[in-house]
Amino acid sequence: MSFTERFVDADGFRIRYMEAGQGPALIHLHGAGGLHMTPAHDLLSRDRRVIAFEMPGFGDSAENTQSDGMEALASTMAAAVRALGIEVFDLLGSSFGAKVALWLAARHPNMVRALVLEGPAAIRPGGMRPPSGTAAEMAPFLFGHPDRVAPMPDPDPTVAAKQRRLVGRLRGPDQDAALEDRMRGLAVPVLVLFGTLDRVMPPEMGREYKALLPNSHLVFVYDAGHLIAAERPEAFAEVVGDFLARREAFVITRRETMIFP
Amino acid sequence: MKISYFETGRYVPSPDLPREWPVRSGACDLDTVSVALRGMEERARFVEALGFDWVSLSEHHYSPRILTPSPAVSAAWLAGRVDTIKIALLGPIVPTSNPIRVAEEFAMLDALAPGRIVAGLLRGTTNEYLSYDLNAAEARARTDEGMELILRAWTEPEPFGWQGRYFQYRTVSIWPRRRLPGLQSYVLGTSAEAGAFAARHRMGLGVSYGSFEAMGRATAYYRQQCAEHGWTPGPDDIIYRANMILGETDDAAEAMLARRDKRAPFPIGGALRDALIEADVSRNVAGVRQPANVGGVLPISFCGGPDRVVEQIRQCRDAMGAGVLDISLTDPGTGDLEAMMDALTLFGRTVLPRVRDI
Repeated sequence: MSFTERFVDADGFRIRYMEAGQGPALIHLHGAGGLHMTPAHDLLSRDRRVIAFEMPGFGDSAENTQSDGMEALASTMAAAVRALGIEVFDLLGSSFGAKVALWLAARHPNMVRALVLEGPAAIRPGGMRPPSGTAAEMAPFLFGHPDRVAPMPDPDPTVAAKQRRLVGRLRGPDQDAALEDRMRGLAVPVLVLFGTLDRVMPPEMGREYKALLPNSHLVFVYDAGHLIAAERPEAFAEVVGDFLARREAFVITRRETMIFP
Repeated sequence: MKISYFETGRYVPSPDLPREWPVRSGACDLDTVSVALRGMEERARFVEALGFDWVSLSEHHYSPRILTPSPAVSAAWLAGRVDTIKIALLGPIVPTSNPIRVAEEFAMLDALAPGRIVAGLLRGTTNEYLSYDLNAAEARARTDEGMELILRAWTEPEPFGWQGRYFQYRTVSIWPRRRLPGLQSYVLGTSAEAGAFAARHRMGLGVSYGSFEAMGRATAYYRQQCAEHGWTPGPDDIIYRANMILGETDDAAEAMLARRDKRAPFPIGGALRDALIEADVSRNVAGVRQPANVGGVLPISFCGGPDRVVEQIRQCRDAMGAGVLDISLTDPGTGDLEAMMDALTLFGRTVLPRVRDI
């Protein structure tokens, strides 16, 4: 499945996105490093319409001085989805993008059918900072087994600095009481994914989400680091796809074990 | 030095019992089995009274050599029948097991005998993969993932799912949960992978049967890995399982060694044995390739009268840093119970009091 680059206007921003597939819409909000397409996007787009946004201020977009917080950025992204004519959708947020996704779901619960959080950075251990540096310097933090994944291109220093400024300004406190209050009341089904080798966000943080979100499922993806979709795309796409298709019923296995009829 | 007695379910085979693995199930004498298994209680109580620290159990299949296919069942039987001795499961074979089941069984045993259960997690010897139809090429990776999952099931307070390479669960939330901290846990194996895993998770390491020098390389690698993870294992963190021949004198022990059967009790036939060794190519000692021992004769690591054995235990401690010695005083599967009980008595009287300070 090949993704097509498109743009949409919302809240005064011209927002880039990548799109492929047909069916129920899945909106993806990326992490602090910006939008990077992975094989998991391809796998998910086989059964659904995948729209992976590049949020304002990331990539080659202009510096975003307009959004004054995560809630505002979430509002912009909801407007961008609406501008595409989509009223109800599944939502996937990765790391920094998971916090945006949580705010979006909290503010627009009727728009979000199901929510997936990949290595979420909405609740952070004290002092945690997103990795920075060259691709080689960041890889040991982002991947459980950096030697097993294709090398990432080095980030453009200007883009990286712009993104760091934006993330630093928007990401808010390590524990955001206002968001946590909203999480307690979020009825939407949520899948929380942590890689067992996540060195950015300890997988033990998963229990914080499980305790706060009343309708949530925590799944550990074995042998994956922070960028689960990039490192174990098949495992990621299978559990995400199954959850989005069946939501709470995804705990009932349909895996067949018969060897011969 | 802590001393552990390796309980193997001492089945006394009839002279006409087939000698090749797998031993035909139809040849199993149920009365003899009952005596062998129920006798675990008597032997465990006996070594408890002698002052042994642990009684250990293992998992083996399809022959009477070591008649404990389920170490958890054996441990549960013993847990209610001994008072102070620790019961060490060394251990369930992880790659052929349901890891959640293993986690639950240990948690249950730990609740039944608080503070007296020792958990060893094991990849298992190659021949055991035939029992539950495991592809030897996947054994290493299944073991690593299974152990990770067991540890997660023991420690995670919230229900969770597991999206692995070999295991997939959507909901895990074990009851009873494991006491934390509590259960003394080990990875069993000589490989670099076993040492690294144990070090990363602050677990002990159990090695077995190899020479002091070879096992010393495995434990040195483990200690080096522990240092890289910022901690130093103590003597109780290293177990050495071995065979011992103890006599009243060195000459008596040497005579027993000379009389020892040179064949393994229930060996695997030649062509199958060779195929198994060929199928399992990832065996190593601290990263150096080592062919699998498939049903072969296990070496005698300690042999002599009490003085010499005490000195050998001192050498063992120096060479590999082991603080727990898990011993068999006659070969499992030989069925010579009287000789074993005599040797245990001799060990308890003449060796045990002298190795406490080693």
